[in-house]
Amino acid sequence: MRLHEYEALDIFEKNGIPVPRRGIASTMHEALHVAGEIGYPVILKAQVLLGGRGLAGGIKTASSPDELKDEAEALLGSDIKGLPVLKLLVCEKVEIAKEIYLGFTIDGYSGKPVIVVSTEGGIFIEETARTAPEKIASYHIDSSFAFYPYQARALLRRLGISQKHITSWTDVIIQLYNVVMRYEALICEINPLVVLPNGGLIAVDAVLEVDDSAITRVRFPLPDRVERIDNALERRGREIGVTYVDLNGDIGLISSGAGLGMASTDIIGEKMKPANFLETGGGITADLLYKCMELIMMKPGLRAIFINVYGGINPIHEGAKGVVRYIQEHNLKIPIVAKALGNRQEETWEIFRSGGVHVVTEAATEKAINRLYELVGRG
Amino acid sequence: MSILMNDSTRVIVQGITGRIGSIQAHWMLDYGTKVVGGVTPDKGGTIVEGLPVFNSVHEAVKETGANASVFFVPAAFVLDAFMETVDAGVKLIVIVPEHIPVRDVMKMRNYALEKGVFALGPTTPGILVPGKGKMGIMPASMFRPGRVGVISRSGTLSYEFAGILSENNVGQSTVVGMGADPVVLRNLADILELFEEDDGTDAVIVVGEVGGEQEEKAAGFIARRMTKPVAAYIAGRYSPQGKRMGHAGAIVRGASGTVAGKHEALKAAGATVLESPIHVIEWTLKHNLK
Repeated sequence: MRLHEYEALDIFEKNGIPVPRRGIASTMHEALHVAGEIGYPVILKAQVLLGGRGLAGGIKTASSPDELKDEAEALLGSDIKGLPVLKLLVCEKVEIAKEIYLGFTIDGYSGKPVIVVSTEGGIFIEETARTAPEKIASYHIDSSFAFYPYQARALLRRLGISQKHITSWTDVIIQLYNVVMRYEALICEINPLVVLPNGGLIAVDAVLEVDDSAITRVRFPLPDRVERIDNALERRGREIGVTYVDLNGDIGLISSGAGLGMASTDIIGEKMKPANFLETGGGITADLLYKCMELIMMKPGLRAIFINVYGGINPIHEGAKGVVRYIQEHNLKIPIVAKALGNRQEETWEIFRSGGVHVVTEAATEKAINRLYELVGRG
Repeated sequence: MSILMNDSTRVIVQGITGRIGSIQAHWMLDYGTKVVGGVTPDKGGTIVEGLPVFNSVHEAVKETGANASVFFVPAAFVLDAFMETVDAGVKLIVIVPEHIPVRDVMKMRNYALEKGVFALGPTTPGILVPGKGKMGIMPASMFRPGRVGVISRSGTLSYEFAGILSENNVGQSTVVGMGADPVVLRNLADILELFEEDDGTDAVIVVGEVGGEQEEKAAGFIARRMTKPVAAYIAGRYSPQGKRMGHAGAIVRGASGTVAGKHEALKAAGATVLESPIHVIEWTLKHNLK
């Protein structure tokens, strides 16, 4: 689960990391009120869950109430890379002497947590990593997950940080790692951590992604996982326990695995346009596939549906019953092609056929999608 | 021959008394796997699918001579059960469940590597040696014996590739699911190495997907060590890219994990890149694989 910047900043603050004075606003008037309390100039930051927000126009400065009105009105209700801006973070504008990058992630290949620090923070940090690797230092933490201040100090010395800064920077690194441990973070980042003219530090940005599989054991309050999803269909997917991603096309998809779902959208995308990505994982029941049919049909203008499921851990014959029940109850007329192979496949095919579903019995998804294409064309 | 499993593999099923554990024990036995028992704490002394259930892995190993284990344990209990299994001396472990916390997986991975245990998963369909046996959930109807190895990050795509091969009379030596999580217990290159050394395997198919750097790292191994032909398919070309936040991952990897980047690395290593699963047929014909 990705947290919004304002949520992550609150958590950073509780864990002792210095953060700017700030407030959250959903309307221009709320933004005016917050800015009045903080004092101008202020920074307005669109709260959308994506990287590259600054370059996409989601961060503005306002030096007066008039400027704030214009900027806040323009930002609220706009879209940034397709995501609606529903909230603005209004922040004090701090004076910048230097920008540091401080990040934590999981190195999937070595299976270890890693801390990354750079003296050149800011939006071009990934470029710096390529062009000036000496300005970046990283440290892999071992499987005890213990990370000590002396290790942070050594990391900073490698970057040539002067001794007078090392203690205060180390404090922030350790506090950030405390957040990582307490919140089961997969990503935890401050970019930039600003060095003030007086040498003080302040985190003017906050990124935090919590491991979904560990949320139930995090002992600190977290925002609701489902409510925060802006897209109604994706939210419904989370509610029924499947992964649904809303796309721009008109061919509905139900698949029983992420890899199979991705391959299906890739192949559909060559001649037609997928309306969604949906994968059930290993929990198929008749009821679940009935709900999946309801969900994908919430999207207006579907021309056809492709069902691609394997019976390994999933009882696909049960799933087929749910699909057919939906077709019959809703008198559904658009073409449905199903490829369903594995345990109890013959039984599954019979059930699908009883509901008028076109059944493909060969393994290659491409052949099933060609069948779909023959039925509905490019559209 | 095969990799990982052979005639002397004796399997216990952990979580055998659960709904999925008992069904899958049935399918594994049905496929001819030497399943010798099960473990569920507090259910020792019962019988499931004709198999004795034990309270501890240690006891199961002592009584049955088991040397391999497959997990159908609820995610929250997997870490504990895994450590117990490693400490009981089991050298091959397959973790089928999904939604295991990444921190737990990192602990499991480090412990397994330290103790010389070969573990697969989490979120893996397991291992299947066609006509011989399987550990995990792979549906038997998709496979036939032969000489092509398959390694897949995705479970369902491992079935898809095996199915396409089987329909075209190309059999498989062993099919291995390496798991779909961001951290897995064994990396792709380690499994490739087993296939390279296996007398029963003539060529290998790698089924990858967008994200991470397993395929990029495996490309290095292919270039340095593989003498057998390798074909690779990467799912996720038209899939929506995650709205990525944070830079640390990209900085550490120095690679973006995109489909294009993986294609480039694999091609440079001499592997054949398949644009779609069905193209695997041409590749098998070109290399005269059976």
